[in-house]
Amino acid sequence: MAITFQPSAYSGLVDQDNGMVSREIFVNADIYAEEQERIFTRAWLFVGHESQIAKPGDFFVSSMGEESVILCRDRQGEIHVFLNSCMHRGMKVCRYDEGNTPIFTCPYHGWSFATDGALVGVPFYKDAYHEELDKSQWGLIRVPRMTNYKGGIWATWDENAPDFLEYIGDFRTYLDILFDGWDGAEGGTEVIGGIEKWLVPSNWKFPAENFIGDRYHNISHRSVDLVGIGPSGQGRRDTRERDNARALDISFPERGHGTIVFLRPADAQPVPSYQNDPVIADYFYQSEIARKERQGELWRILGGPGTIFPNMSYLPRQPRSIAVWHPRGPDQTEVWRWFLVDSAAPPEVKEFLRQYYIRYSGPSGLTEQDDMENWNYAHAASRGAMARRHHYNYQMGMGHAVTDFEDGGLRIPGTVLDVTKARAGEQNQRSFYTRWADFMAARDWDELAGWRRGNGSGSTC
Amino acid sequence: MVVANDPLALLLLKQDVETFLYHEANLLDDRRYEEWLELLTDDVRYWVPMRRNVKFGELEREFTREGQDINWFDEGKDTLTRRVNQILTGVHWAEEPLSRIAHMVTNVEILEATPTPAEPETVSLRCRFIIYRNRVATETDILVGRREDMLRRADGQWRIAQRQVFLDQNVLLAKNLTFFF
Amino acid sequence: MADIVNLFEVEPGQTIRLHSDATAEVVSNPRDGVWLFVRYLTSPDDPEQVGAEDMVFAQDVVELLTD
Repeated sequence: MAITFQPSAYSGLVDQDNGMVSREIFVNADIYAEEQERIFTRAWLFVGHESQIAKPGDFFVSSMGEESVILCRDRQGEIHVFLNSCMHRGMKVCRYDEGNTPIFTCPYHGWSFATDGALVGVPFYKDAYHEELDKSQWGLIRVPRMTNYKGGIWATWDENAPDFLEYIGDFRTYLDILFDGWDGAEGGTEVIGGIEKWLVPSNWKFPAENFIGDRYHNISHRSVDLVGIGPSGQGRRDTRERDNARALDISFPERGHGTIVFLRPADAQPVPSYQNDPVIADYFYQSEIARKERQGELWRILGGPGTIFPNMSYLPRQPRSIAVWHPRGPDQTEVWRWFLVDSAAPPEVKEFLRQYYIRYSGPSGLTEQDDMENWNYAHAASRGAMARRHHYNYQMGMGHAVTDFEDGGLRIPGTVLDVTKARAGEQNQRSFYTRWADFMAARDWDELAGWRRGNGSGSTC
Repeated sequence: MVVANDPLALLLLKQDVETFLYHEANLLDDRRYEEWLELLTDDVRYWVPMRRNVKFGELEREFTREGQDINWFDEGKDTLTRRVNQILTGVHWAEEPLSRIAHMVTNVEILEATPTPAEPETVSLRCRFIIYRNRVATETDILVGRREDMLRRADGQWRIAQRQVFLDQNVLLAKNLTFFF
Repeated sequence: MADIVNLFEVEPGQTIRLHSDATAEVVSNPRDGVWLFVRYLTSPDDPEQVGAEDMVFAQDVVELLTD
């Protein structure tokens, strides 16, 4: 099933030497079609969270790129990801969003599949197929590679893709902040019921690059900062923990992932936050102390927004959530957002966070509403024949990133742009588009896994 | 429907309630948001669930749950006031320039009036709505659904004490929900 | 001919008659309206089927024998 691609004519649209990216890659329908083949069939994609399918027979219908997939736990407790398309004539075998079922039955001709994907029911099998159909060959299409990393379920359609842990590489340090408990306990998170799904008229890469580390767009959120929705009623989030911290943009150009973090000083101590309610304040304070004890120096890293190439973005702390930017044509993105809480948190804390998440995020969130306006009209104004002739500028902080960043004895993995004074940079976005160009150019995963050849292990651009 | 043992009182109440609902819609469409806030009780509950596709016989899971799940809205007056204040900052880009919005309220039914339709202190009602939004140049959203309100009489006037909005969409087709239902 | 059986109304333990004239006891109902899990009680065409479990398609269900 592995297809060998010829290099795309479009990879050159990312001008790494000059920090510019052609608008064509956002608006051109041919490029979009190639992305579906070259990126979304080869990269690891986020599918869902194991807490959504806790019991045998539980399923959650998700999406990988444009395509509908079923995440489900079979009768034996094994987790699977299938293409949501009947093997007989292609009908969706599941048009429900989530639930529990012993079988997935196609409503068109009635073929039926077990929760492990096996074809178990074929109407008129005896009389019409003369028992000659080899059912074992016609089960639901299963993703060849799937992983459950700390509760997050990821999958790729490329059997030659590296293991997920190799795919994320040292970015794991940052991704762990999302999936581990607030106190640092491994994988201690669960999803709150209700996945937000909505359409944004913009190319999927606008939100992906926004989340990878666009500190420059703070002005977008002026209005919410003025009215205040943070956990203690002010600003967007509680930021005292960032006092005296260094602001770092961290990316992995050879992988395409990136995040912004705040690095607390070496002598920092946990500070109270979420102070409107003593139960909640105490939970977070005690969790910070526990995390510091557990993680030592790494505790100094305060996670911020990030993107795992290509289309999974997240906020690891406030408000803790995962967004996937499902491509729906060059001009449209279907956003899905999952919200995470510590499984072990008391009900008061979960409830408090739930309310904060709702008022912050998504189409009804006071913060995110303004992002979507910008992505919408940035995209719309880039589609014209004249507009397309002019590249976007990604030159901020070019040439100032380092690959050996160290602070107070703590080595920070990745290509690091220190923006403590600058307040913003575009190193992470450059890394994202560098990787985008790699995916468009590469024939296969031998070419895509550049780090195995030892070149590009953190090159700056 | 309430038992109409006093049909005239019920008719007058329905007229009264409809007048109130149209007045409310006018305030929103005229962008008189602060006056709109005054129509809400201090303990108002404003809930807009998300809506799932579920299997036959499992309709109890169709809506996300108030007070437990993620919902489009699940809040009280404090957050609603912040939403109004955000629009009034002048830099809430999602509503700057302001959208053109029209609320159509129809199919109004009185479900309950206590203690009596003749001298009601609270009224529960159900209605349908169409919200038309047009913004910037050609951007247009039409949202349709059912609303269940609970009104409470205070100082001789109706106030909204509870609003439940059941939107007829699964994937939200609008990029944001910067308006009020 | 009996009315079409709506499989949502079939409960485990009930007996059905099939297109092949076999009879079977319903073991479980996946509640998709299309299939039933059954165990054969009689099977004139294929006596070896008796006792075996199978999935039965809605169009192969002729009638519900027990209420």
